[in-house]
Amino acid sequence: MVAPATPKSWYLPSKPHKFCPGCGHGIVLKALGETIDELDIQDKTIFGCDIGCSLLSWDFLACDSTQTHHGRTTPVMVGIKRARPQLITIGYMGDGGGYSIGSQHLLNAAVRNEKVTLILVNNTNYGMTGGQMAPTTLPGQKTETTPYGRDPEKTGYPTKGPEFLSELTPDGAYVARATVSKYKQLRRFLRNALRNQIEGNGFSFLEVLSTCPTNWRTNAQQTWHFLEDEMEQFFTVGEFKTPFGKGDK
Amino acid sequence: MTEQPIPRLVEAYVGEYASGKSEIAINRALELTRQGRQVTLVDLDTVEPFYTLRSLKEKLESFGINMICLSAKDAFGLGETGAMLNPKARWALRHEGDIILDIGYGVYGARTLNLVEGANESDELKVMLVINYSRPMTNSRERIKEYINSFDRIDFIVANTHLGDQTTAEIIIEGNQEILAVANELSLPVAYMAADINFAAELQKHQFLVPVKFINRYMPEAIWS
Amino acid sequence: MQKVIGETKKAFLTGNEAIAWGCLAAEADMMFGYPITPQNEIMHYWTRLAPKYGKEFLQTEDEISAGFTVCGAIQSGIKAFTATAGPGNVLMQEPFGMAEGMRLPFFAIIQQRGGPSSGTVIYSQQEVSLTCYGGNGEGHRIVYSTATHQELYDYTIKGFNTAWKYRFPTYLLGDGYQAKMREPLEMYEPSERGIDIIKPYPLLGLEGHIGTDREPQHLRNIYSMEEELYDVVLKNDADYNSVRQEITEYSEFNCENAEVIIISHGVVSRAAEDAVKVLRAQGIKAGSFRPITLRPFPREQLLAVLEKSNAKKLLITESALGQLERIVKYEIYGQTLPIETLFMPGVGIIDYDIIQKIKSII
Repeated sequence: MVAPATPKSWYLPSKPHKFCPGCGHGIVLKALGETIDELDIQDKTIFGCDIGCSLLSWDFLACDSTQTHHGRTTPVMVGIKRARPQLITIGYMGDGGGYSIGSQHLLNAAVRNEKVTLILVNNTNYGMTGGQMAPTTLPGQKTETTPYGRDPEKTGYPTKGPEFLSELTPDGAYVARATVSKYKQLRRFLRNALRNQIEGNGFSFLEVLSTCPTNWRTNAQQTWHFLEDEMEQFFTVGEFKTPFGKGDK
Repeated sequence: MTEQPIPRLVEAYVGEYASGKSEIAINRALELTRQGRQVTLVDLDTVEPFYTLRSLKEKLESFGINMICLSAKDAFGLGETGAMLNPKARWALRHEGDIILDIGYGVYGARTLNLVEGANESDELKVMLVINYSRPMTNSRERIKEYINSFDRIDFIVANTHLGDQTTAEIIIEGNQEILAVANELSLPVAYMAADINFAAELQKHQFLVPVKFINRYMPEAIWS
Repeated sequence: MQKVIGETKKAFLTGNEAIAWGCLAAEADMMFGYPITPQNEIMHYWTRLAPKYGKEFLQTEDEISAGFTVCGAIQSGIKAFTATAGPGNVLMQEPFGMAEGMRLPFFAIIQQRGGPSSGTVIYSQQEVSLTCYGGNGEGHRIVYSTATHQELYDYTIKGFNTAWKYRFPTYLLGDGYQAKMREPLEMYEPSERGIDIIKPYPLLGLEGHIGTDREPQHLRNIYSMEEELYDVVLKNDADYNSVRQEITEYSEFNCENAEVIIISHGVVSRAAEDAVKVLRAQGIKAGSFRPITLRPFPREQLLAVLEKSNAKKLLITESALGQLERIVKYEIYGQTLPIETLFMPGVGIIDYDIIQKIKSII
């Protein structure tokens, strides 16, 4: 059997992976694997994952990895980076781990310009636990804890992470939002985010708009529509802050 | 025997949490297998990680059913693992023979069928709504009506009233009668009435307006694995 | 108050649902929560039922917030509650501490899962120490360990009443199996069983004009001098001890002439009772003791049972590595009966396991 070409930094014994069909995580992790290969940082990368669907990535890469607690990926990565600055720390989490239970850590890491790279996969729900509301759930969207549709009067509007992080961070930080529907751009933003850490400039954060057909209960066409047409109405794709010259919004 | 009489059956079992969908789906798959038919049973329960077909995969495969689900050891033991879907489930309808789909509960109900390629366009697919009159959300005609109306599409009702270990023939009969009455009112056909095989003797004395299928219980094993 | 249950009905429910309905029957007003397996369905059902009964819900940013929002809501006089598990339970110890210090009528449901850390999402009895004694300092709590779905419903109603009557944080300690299993139970209006639902009352935002009608309420949990704290701690302890016996619950099965007594709680006690039946049929004089309140522990009652029995050995069995054992040994200090243990941390215990163990120790 011919195996498909996979990044060198992918851990083959854990493949085929367990992400659902149509899940965006597979795309993000592929782009990440390719970027790690391109920048040749596999041996000194530490990969941390959160609780939730990101948890399925605990043995995904052929890099030293640690699972953490829900929302605590950021401080664990900060701890590693502070202890051994030569290591490249990549924290991988979902919308809950970053914008909900992990928000205070995310905010403070940003303010301190911690030289970690955080990747937050945004699929507008808490997938692994059965589809509850997330900070990024869209108004009117049905989830298991908003069975009648999210009411922004009661629960607020979707959290816009890169927007507030770019305001909080000092110079040297890199803050961007990509989408799995634009792969080349995703690769470019990942490269910039990791470059930012490698060069020691500061904090780097990349939110990636992603798909969850399982919890959205959507077929392929509906999935792309939700990602490209509905989500992008709230979540602007582009670079919000970058030390690398003109950001592209 | 591999000759498949036409047409094949494609049945998606939907229903409330703990209505008995999985139990009904398993028994239906077994019934068809015993008739010499080729059957695929698909686990589409993405909300409830505990009470699914996963732990029964090997056992049901030994009965000759083609199982599409993750096995318990692939899914369990990974912290928060709940909503995981075997990619093969997407292409379930491409399998030959009968397809029985166990749709989990969840706020979207039958919309879960969007996850199966070609399900909505299929003219073979029948959406079977399983109702247990002992469940609080469906324990009155009003509530049943409201519940049925929350679905975009239902083709058949399956009446599955029971009270676990405290079931009696009376409870089955009375509860299912209420369900039948509502189905009648809404002009929805009732495919069959399901009851635990231990009640076969008692229930066979009665005349029912719909077919009765006696089922064996497999799911209680599912949680302790 | 709108009747939620109506006439008493036998129903087939999962544990989490039974709790959600129990909260409605207890006239709870508001739930704050955060997703964590295996309690999510309590939230799922509450959010579906809430609009029909005029109830409120907020999914907070995490468990610390869920605990503190409940504290605030309770202080303002609303019957608020939350549910959690595992690492969420760990996070909630901080708000539970506020409830201990201020004597807030805080009721919460804990669905135990494997630990430490993320462990498993499935089942355990490993949150006993945490739920009973998890705060800093010696706060007082009341903890009910349930074994059946009927009890999940009954003790949810009782838990709210206990919290609002005695003002000690009160817990229903369940587990992942109870949360997910399906069993029949009877749902009833509490008034049908002569149970009065205690109405909530505010500690802040009281009626009346400040200065003329009343003084402002100043609540605090921090003291300037060691002696102030000492007095508060001892006073709370005295309050608690004065109502211990009213609150304590336990059950025992066949202990009268038993030569070996099994001590267990929660769902494991069901296996223990089944084991006793089998052992007795085989001529082995076994008995079972089950604390229903892990805190206050039925110490006097256990000592009395041991006294009246013929027990030559005790077997403590739990799906944990000694959390119940530690409590029992503390409570019956001075007893010289040999104590054997059957620990299966995070794993279910069935009658067969207990029977084999008993046969190996007698």
